[in-house]
Parts: sequence; C-alpha cells; structure tokens
Amino acid sequence: MAFWNPYCLNQGAMRDDANFSSPMNLYEACDQDELRILLITGGWDVRRSFNQIGIQPGDRVRVLRHAPFGGPLVIDNQGTQVAVGKQLAQQIRVEVLP
Amino acid sequence: MKVALVGQPNSGKSTVFNAVAGYHSLTSNFAGTTVEYTRGQARVGGVVLDLIDLPGLYSLTPTSAVEEVSRDYLLENEWDVIINVVDASQMARSLELTLELLDLEAPMVVCLNMMDEAARKGMTIDTKSLSDALGVPVIEAIGGRGRGIVETFRAAQQEAAKGSNPHPFLYAPDLESILKELGGKVAGTLPQRPSAFHRFSALPVISSNPMPAASVKCLGGCCNTACGGQESVIAAPRVESSRHAPAQGSASVAVAEPPVRAGADLPYNEFQGTASQSQIGNLISHVGNLKSQIQVFPPARYRALQLLQSKPNPSPKRELAVCAATPDSGRRTPDLLVLTPDLLADAALRTPDSEQTFVDWARMEITSRTGQPADAAISSARHAACLNLFERVAKVARPKSDWRERVDHIAMHPIWGYAMLAVVFLGFFRLIFNVGQLGETRILSVFDALVALLTRHMDPHSAMFAAVKGGVLGTAGAVAIVLPYLLPFLAGLAILEDIGYLSRVGYLMDAGMHRLGLHGTATLPVLVGYGCSVPAVMATRILSTRRDRFIAAFLAVLVPCSARMTVIFALVGFYLGANYALAIYGLNIVVVALSGAVLARIWPEISPGMLMEVPAYRVPAAKVVALKTWWRLREFVLVAFPLLVVGSIVLSLVDFYGWQHGINAALSPLTALLGLPRSVGLTLIFGVLRKELSLLMLMQALGTTHILGAMTAAQIIIFTLFVTFYLPCMATLASMIKELGWRLTLAASAALLALAIVISLAARGVMLIL
Repeated sequence: MAFWNPYCLNQGAMRDDANFSSPMNLYEACDQDELRILLITGGWDVRRSFNQIGIQPGDRVRVLRHAPFGGPLVIDNQGTQVAVGKQLAQQIRVEVLP
Repeated sequence: MKVALVGQPNSGKSTVFNAVAGYHSLTSNFAGTTVEYTRGQARVGGVVLDLIDLPGLYSLTPTSAVEEVSRDYLLENEWDVIINVVDASQMARSLELTLELLDLEAPMVVCLNMMDEAARKGMTIDTKSLSDALGVPVIEAIGGRGRGIVETFRAAQQEAAKGSNPHPFLYAPDLESILKELGGKVAGTLPQRPSAFHRFSALPVISSNPMPAASVKCLGGCCNTACGGQESVIAAPRVESSRHAPAQGSASVAVAEPPVRAGADLPYNEFQGTASQSQIGNLISHVGNLKSQIQVFPPARYRALQLLQSKPNPSPKRELAVCAATPDSGRRTPDLLVLTPDLLADAALRTPDSEQTFVDWARMEITSRTGQPADAAISSARHAACLNLFERVAKVARPKSDWRERVDHIAMHPIWGYAMLAVVFLGFFRLIFNVGQLGETRILSVFDALVALLTRHMDPHSAMFAAVKGGVLGTAGAVAIVLPYLLPFLAGLAILEDIGYLSRVGYLMDAGMHRLGLHGTATLPVLVGYGCSVPAVMATRILSTRRDRFIAAFLAVLVPCSARMTVIFALVGFYLGANYALAIYGLNIVVVALSGAVLARIWPEISPGMLMEVPAYRVPAAKVVALKTWWRLREFVLVAFPLLVVGSIVLSLVDFYGWQHGINAALSPLTALLGLPRSVGLTLIFGVLRKELSLLMLMQALGTTHILGAMTAAQIIIFTLFVTFYLPCMATLASMIKELGWRLTLAASAALLALAIVISLAARGVMLIL
C-alpha cells in the first residue's frame, strides 16, 4: 500500500534500520503503523480541531489507509476512525512505535 | 419541562428525539446532519416534555457555525435538563463533552446510546460505576430500536424535578486554583445572560482577598529580546469588593483597582523551573479563597474554562508580547502564546477592569506551569481524565473482525474505491430512471384519458375548461411525472445516507476537492445538494470559514436537486433515453468542478483541511428509511404539489386570456438566443418558484404532454440544461440569503444565470455542429 503514499518514510526493509525516534509528521507514516502523537503544531485552530475529535499529544493511533493523489489518511484512535487531510496531517509530529 | 438533547455529532440525538417525538428531525449516518435545532413534544410518563434536538457538537468551544448554534442555545435559552447522548462505541472521546457539560452544573442525564455497536466492538461498559464517577444517571440505550429511550426520559424528569446540580469534574489542583481565581475575577465583569434561571437565582457576592503580587519571569525563547531577559514582576489585578444587585441572576459589578507594580523583591520563577512552580502555587493558594460561590449561570468555573480555551486574540498592543517557544525541546512553534509580564502589566494599567487582562494572566500562569498553551493544557487535562475514566469503566476485548472492515477495504481502496463510487452512483440513477419511467408512462396514460374525457364533455372554449384542464395537467405533472422519480430517489438517498457511505465519498473526493479550493468535508453539503438545495446550503455550516461556506453553497446549488432531477429524467430521460440524462449529470459534474476551480482562483485561501470522523457502517432500518423518505416527500406534497396545481391553473388562464404574450415577448431575446420556442419564456419565470413548475408549465405552454412533438431533441436538451443551471428556486435563495448574506447571494445568482446562458449556448453550438 505504500505505493500510494510516496511520502511514506521508513518503509519496507528500511524499517529495521529506521531511527524510530526521528521526527516525522503523521503524513509520512505508512499504513498499519502504530504511532504516538508527539506534538500538534499549527496554532489554536489546528490544535482545537484535533482536540475536539479526541486526538491529543500522547495518544496512540494506528494508520489504516491513505487515499491516492495526496488525499487524506484514515487513522484509528481508540476505535474511532478519523480521516485527516494532508495539510493537517503534516502539522502533527509523531513517532513510530515498534 | 424543557429537555435539551446534546451530544457529539453522529451520536444519535436525532434518533432518540424521533423515537419519542415522531419523525421530525432528519437522521443520517454522518456527522453534521442536524444543523439547526428542532423542537418537538413528547408525552413520557404522563408528562408532556418539550424536546430540543441540538446539532452535534464536539465540545463547548465551537470551531464551526453548527457548534455555535448548540453552544449558544445552551447558554442563552432556558431548559430544565440536558440529555447527553453518548455514542457508547466512541465513549472514550465522547466523554470529553460529557465532562464539559458537567461544568455547567445543571441537571443532566447521560444516555449511553448504540450499546449494540459497542458490544460489537468488544466493549463492556460498567454503567453503574460510570454513573457514580460522573455523579449523574447513566442509561443504556439503543436508539435505533427504541430501547432505553423511555427510561432516559424518565431519569431526565427525575433529575429536573430534583433540581440536582452535578459537580464538575475537577482537574489537577494547581489548574483548579487558577480556574477558581479567574472564575472569581470574571464573574462580575461578564454580562449576565438576560434570562437567568430561577433555579440559579443568584447570590452574586464576590468578595475576594486582595491578591498578593505574583511574579513571573519571562519565558525564555524569543521573549528574551522583548523583555531583555530581565525579571519582571506583575501584580495581578486586585479585586476588592463588588456591588451586587439583590435581584436574581442580575449582574454584579466587580470594582477592580488598577494593579500596582510590585517591587522586585519577590521571588521569580526560572524558565520552566519546578521550584518556581511551587512558589507560584503557594502564592496562588494564598489568593483563591473566595468567600462565597457565585450561583449564576453559567457557573464561574465554566466561564473561566471558556475564556481560557477561546482563541487567543492578541490586541495590537500585546502583539509584541506574543512569541513562541516550546519548553521541552527548545523547538520553536508559532502557537504558544506567551505574554511578557511587562506588557501585560501595562495593559492591565490601561484597562484595569478588562477581563482580558485576567485571562491573559491566567493563560500565562498555566503556560508557565505546564509548558503548554492554556487551551492545550486544559483539553489535555480533560482528555487524560476521560481516558482514565474510560479505562475504569469499560473493558475492550478484541473486536470481532466483520464485514465492515472488508467493505471498507474495497470502498476506500485507491482503485476499487473509485470504481465502487461510479457503480453506486450509476446504479442509483439507473434505478431511479427505470422505476420512474415505469410509473410515468402508466400514470400519464390515465391522465391523458381524463383530459380527452374533459374535452368531450366541456366547452373547450370556456375559461372554466381552461382552469380545469390546467388543474388536471398540474396534478398529472405532480403525480405522474414528478412523483415516480422523486420517490425512488428519496428512498435511495435515505439508504445511502444511513449506511454511512457518504463520508467515504468525502474521503475519496478530498484530493479532488482540493483542486476546487475545498476539502473533503465540503463534499457532504454538495452531496446533500442532490436531494435538495435548501438543506445543502444549510449543511455548509459544518465548514469553518465563510469562504469555504460560500464556495460549497455555490457548488451545492449547481448540483441538480431532486426537483431538477425530475426535470432531467422526465424530459431528457423519458424522451431521449437514460444515457442522455446521465450525460447531463456528467456534464454537471464537470461544470461543478470547473466552477469550483474558478472560484478557488477568485477567492484563494488555504483551506484548513479535512478532519472528519468516518462513521461505522450501519444497516439502515427499513422503518427509518421509510419515515425519512416520507419526511422529505411531505415537503413536496404539502408545498410543491399545491404550488404546481395552482401554478398550472394560473398559467392556463393566462394562456386563455392571452396574457402570456407580453412576458414571452420580454423574454424573447433570451429564448431566441437559446433557440427555444417563444412560448417557453413564461415557464422559466415559473421555474424560479419551484423547479418542477418549469416542466409542468412547459407542457401547459406547449399545450400537450407529448413534448417531443412540439420541441426538437436539441431544444429539449437546451431547455433542460438552462433550467438545471439558472437561478436557484425561491426557497434556496432564501436560505442562501440567510447563510451567506444578500450580497453573496446576489453575486452567486448573477454568476449562475450567466453560467446557464453560457452552457446552453455552448450546447446549442455543439448540436448545431453535429
């Protein structure tokens, strides 16, 4: 599936050598990655809209799928599926959980 | 007794509402179906309840116009009890709103809806301990099947009768102390709501101790340049006494003295130092002893929370002080609002009683303690409390893997997802066409016979005959031509909405919508537009900016609504074939895309992007689909049907007395330009009242139900295209004026008219060449 997301970092064989703590944003995560949200940047509005939908720094989320053509990705947060657009996803710093 | 149904989007408030009040409120399986509150009445246990179904809101700090509707209702109107509808399968997140509602300290019941879905997800919820933890009754329910609904309303009645005021959920002590402080300060400065509850009859006595000066050092980072890295000391504003009115719920005025700048002998806190935090904590704990709690609505603590969470709005004077630093890593982000004490003190001196000064002070306090912006600190505290609570009361087993996941695997697949989208929509319109055509031919033949009968038994040259014939043709149009297409369309739409597919369409279309300067969330109003433009224009409220709302509303109006759908199918589809009708839909999509792209150029703005819940699939209940179809059809039966018949009679008489010539002559430049028969001019005027009218009027104007004899195929296509795109109907115009203002509505109407002429001319040109 990574084929559809050219932004996806650390994929495939690289994954083993990847530095998991390296800073990356949510949009760079690959499908099925388990992530921890580290920081939501982008100011009050972005923070507020993520907080509202129940996503906060420290949360553990899983990437389910990416839409093609730079479309949104769907993450699973405590059983809630949320579609996050590219611009917003790029405002979120995450780390990949092993 | 007034009962307000409050809950997060798509938690089933409207379902609960409809379960007792009859189908008055539209339900769907996507967030943001209800954008205005609906009132209804229900008799539960012999008591008549006034129900208010509020639009869903994620929190009491709104980010969209829909949420503002709900919040403002809760704060500005009277109600006796809240029923907080919670989607049990999303409990961890939904509890955040519940905690915020508890801050209102008003009677409340939690209705734990969709227990079946929670069970499917492998969740078991200990309702009893949840109820104990929240301090309000929690009732399990399955709204779709009507289970637990009556119990919920009974519990709500009991709570309202008791007048119980639940306690807010408290956060960390140092956060609470700031909240208490700020609450005390702002209680007097804020205007009270005009109609305070008698229950909350106020005893507004504010009397706080003079506050000792708290000193805060500048918070590192770029602030160093602003305040020179110097320690600076701010004296918190001092509220000494208050004047209070004896009347219930009336405002009390806090008289604040200008703050004094204290000397630098007080200890200051180091950047992010833990020791200094406790020092400030000590100072604050000195302070916060309010002698009496203020019993007004909304409660002081709630107000403090709201003020701290609202969008920081730095005044020009304070802008200098806004700077950025994330203490944990030294990474700079532009979102951390840090005010230097210097500037804050200046501001306080200038506007001593401004609540903004207190708020800034409290924001700074929280930021200095937690290293987060105040709103983030509060919401993360709430989030943590919710997760905690959730873990205490719910157990999550491994969810059973079921068909839903496999469906999503296809429906949201990068290739098959789009294929499925095409199949679903083509199938949908094919179905409408086939069912509609079947109905149209059969019912129309009955009316044809009736007209023939009339001609034989009445004097065909009397005004009476013209009127009766007009009435019969109007009825024929409504029953035989509009209804056969409308009914399968509405039923199909109801099913699509209830399954939860529309959100998936939004997901698939997000990338494309970005080309139109919008994002995936905006697909929902546009898709709703296929049903009716009025709710579509209203649904644009789920978007956060005025610009997004305008573009989405414009595109939603361009999309052929069910009325125009009947024109397309009953004219082009019926006379020329289903493929021509589908081609018009295809052309329409192209026009929508192009208009969006053009609008995005004219009014460029970076859209904040899509953040949308993807709801779980649900099997639509036959009863709900039927009720919903009827609910939408009722609008047609009650409003459009009489209009069609009366309009038809009026047109017959106009025709009989020969008044139409003037109007047709006035419109003849347009009809000549489009190559249409001169007599259709009048029908275009009627089309603004109701789009179906232009179809019926066409038959009237041409004097036959068999249009192909009176117009050529090319004329039919041009007429249909023009009717599809030109001015929206009256009802849509009214709702556009309401949502967008008359200026933008006027601009949009002019643009639509021009667009319709251009498209029709282009079609004419193409057909001339062919």
